[in-house]
Amino acid sequence: MKNNSNAYLTFALGEEKFAIRVDHVQEVVEFGQVTKVPNAPNYMLGIINLRGRVLPLLDTKLKLGLSATTVTQKSRIMILDIHSSDDKNFQIGAMVDFAREVIEIDANEIQDAPEFENLKTSAPVTGIVNNHGDITMIMDIGKVFSISDLTDIKTTTLN
Amino acid sequence: MLMDNNQKRFVEDALDLLNELDEGLLQLEANPQATAPLEQVFRTMHTIKGGANMFGFENIGELAHHLETLYDLVRQGNMQVSDGLISITLHAFDKVRDLLKEKDATKIANADELKDHLKMAIAFLKSAETESMKVAQASVQPISKKDQLATFFFRISPTVNMTIDGNHPLVFIIQDLEAVGTARTFCYKKSDGNIAHWDVYLSTTTAQAEIESYFLFVENECHVSCTMLLACDLFGSAEFKKFIEEFKDTPTDSGELIAFVQMIASNFNNQAATEDDLADAEPTRKKSYNDTFIKVSKRKIDDLLNWISELIILQAQLVNVTSSVNSPEITEVTEQLEHVTNSLRDTSLEIGLVPVETLVTKFKRLVRDLSKNLNKKVNFLSEGAETEMDKDVIELMTEPMIHIIRNCIDHGIETPEERRQAGKTEHGTVKLKAFNTSSYVNIVISDDGKGIDKDKVLAKAIEKGLVAPDAVLSEEETLSLIFHPGLSTASAISDVSGRGVGMDVVKQKINDLRGYVTIKSTQGKGTSIHIKLPLSRSIIEGLLVKVEETRYVVPLNVIDRIDRISYDELDRGNQVNKMVVVNEETLSVFSLRQKFHGETAVPKTTDIISVTVNGIRKGIAVDRIEGKMQTVMKPLGDAYQQQDFIAGSTILGDGSLALVLDPSRLFQLSDN
Repeated sequence: MKNNSNAYLTFALGEEKFAIRVDHVQEVVEFGQVTKVPNAPNYMLGIINLRGRVLPLLDTKLKLGLSATTVTQKSRIMILDIHSSDDKNFQIGAMVDFAREVIEIDANEIQDAPEFENLKTSAPVTGIVNNHGDITMIMDIGKVFSISDLTDIKTTTLN
Repeated sequence: MLMDNNQKRFVEDALDLLNELDEGLLQLEANPQATAPLEQVFRTMHTIKGGANMFGFENIGELAHHLETLYDLVRQGNMQVSDGLISITLHAFDKVRDLLKEKDATKIANADELKDHLKMAIAFLKSAETESMKVAQASVQPISKKDQLATFFFRISPTVNMTIDGNHPLVFIIQDLEAVGTARTFCYKKSDGNIAHWDVYLSTTTAQAEIESYFLFVENECHVSCTMLLACDLFGSAEFKKFIEEFKDTPTDSGELIAFVQMIASNFNNQAATEDDLADAEPTRKKSYNDTFIKVSKRKIDDLLNWISELIILQAQLVNVTSSVNSPEITEVTEQLEHVTNSLRDTSLEIGLVPVETLVTKFKRLVRDLSKNLNKKVNFLSEGAETEMDKDVIELMTEPMIHIIRNCIDHGIETPEERRQAGKTEHGTVKLKAFNTSSYVNIVISDDGKGIDKDKVLAKAIEKGLVAPDAVLSEEETLSLIFHPGLSTASAISDVSGRGVGMDVVKQKINDLRGYVTIKSTQGKGTSIHIKLPLSRSIIEGLLVKVEETRYVVPLNVIDRIDRISYDELDRGNQVNKMVVVNEETLSVFSLRQKFHGETAVPKTTDIISVTVNGIRKGIAVDRIEGKMQTVMKPLGDAYQQQDFIAGSTILGDGSLALVLDPSRLFQLSDN
């Protein structure tokens, strides 16, 4: 797996392009049925059935503090492997507007990322790269979907 | 220091061996003259010693060695089994068990705690050696002693005509006879089909006189001869078993039999005395399965079960798809596949099951220690110990069951004095009975003590404000109050029980496992607690319901009844009183629609599911009930830890998911 570490999967959130290391991505599936779990934060869309496995589905845009994803024909779910700090592995489905392709990015092509004020989660973008004219942001999914982040959320109160 | 694999394996094996050892020691205590438990105890200690020394736990090895020496003296007839001997052994190995559970090699190897036990064992040995001379001269004659394990030969000849399937009581008496030990019965018939006689070989600890008394009522209808062959379990000898099988068709010649037994008797003793041959001499335990066993890691079993759950789900989907394809061939194959899948599921669920027997040994110890502490005389009986349960469930249920048994002995069983005055035998009885019904395991723990004083329970509940003073409660409702937190009838708080915590925890644990508990008690006669647990933790029986487009599953075990009312009766807008009258009962209802979904496009009717959780009846309102189902429950995972009122999810036949509710946590949500 180590020699694949230059491979990135690119995807779109709205008009903007992102890329994540391909070894975090187990597969990309089409958007299907989702069952909402009550009393969960709005970015937690519910649970999905991935061939008999039950996985939580998150709205990547809402998680980043952007506007909610509208489901279209092109909407995709990235099945991600998240390694948390306490050595636990878990899988989630992350909803994106569009999943594009796997590209090779050489480490020295990546430039340092500027500060993004409109992103909620602290510094999820670790760098930017010019991918044939598309400005693509390299995302650290460990930071976007950290387990402590997902489990520490206080439940929304009932009215 | 972490343990290497060999050490880990030793610890695991040793923990098993320690359980066997406990069992053997308790048997030996009950039958001090019996050879089979003595041999078992000796052999088990020897194995522990060998393993401990080999894997670097010399301190355990040394302790086992000294204790083994003591039992060797017993074997040679130079010492008697005594309470003291059994006690120091039990306590010493308790310490070993505690140590092994630490799972830290350095800690185990350097533990000082064993030294005290070692000193005790050495001291015991010294005093025993001085005693041994006298004992040797007194020369124990164990043969006629009661409770001695012995092998008998019975010949029962009916003097009236009877057939094997006739209903003559003698046929049943013979079955009873077979049940008191290891038995082999041959039935010889006359030419007219009537029974000529039975030959029964039986090895048992039951006294000869007691066995003979079985035939008291049929004295006039049969002739019984009883010969004691040898004061040991002859079924442990392969030669003996082979020998008796030769008499399958022709009646045993008793002269030949006795000659043979004398011949193998010398063999048998020699063999048992040679340590190196121990494995060959392994006497049959009380249960000998004709199975071989392998140890498999829990992870592999879990993996297997996971794959099978997925297969079940795929199977359900396939059935769904097939129904839309009009092809008899596919339908047939699907049906066959369904059959195979179901069998596979049933078999695989059995893999993770272990017999309740593992608990029985633990409880015997508990009863022994506790009754000694409390100066009560208590017998512990178990029935159906071969009944199997999920290993995890057994582990989770151990503490609650220990608590129940403690209560039985502490509160239930009276002192010998009180029992005598009440016209009961001095020895009280605590009984554990396990059996299977459909997809449940049942455990009944009963005692023949003084029973629960219902008036006292009720008075206390009223005093604590749990029940209205004018409330009329059924017997069952009153008894179930003891599961209420903060209610304990022990007038004096003892070291054992009576702190008012416990029974509510017991109930909670059982609820968590989606089980039921009921209690029956007759004053002066005793109490019995019936625990019913689902066979598997992941297979759930529930009611599938729908609210808007979301499907939920309500576990069947808490449901009392279902009623359909009009939606207006449930949702009365801004009225202060939110209680709903269902079946002439006022219920506080949790409406899934109101709490979790919008109140737009409300249905005309709503179904109210009445459930009893923690002794309180409440309602859950849903749009529509879709039916009963049995399905595989999957956890939601770490991401939904906060939503603990959802116990998990389940995949329906069409591939969509339903949420399994945890009713008790659901109501906690509405309380806050």
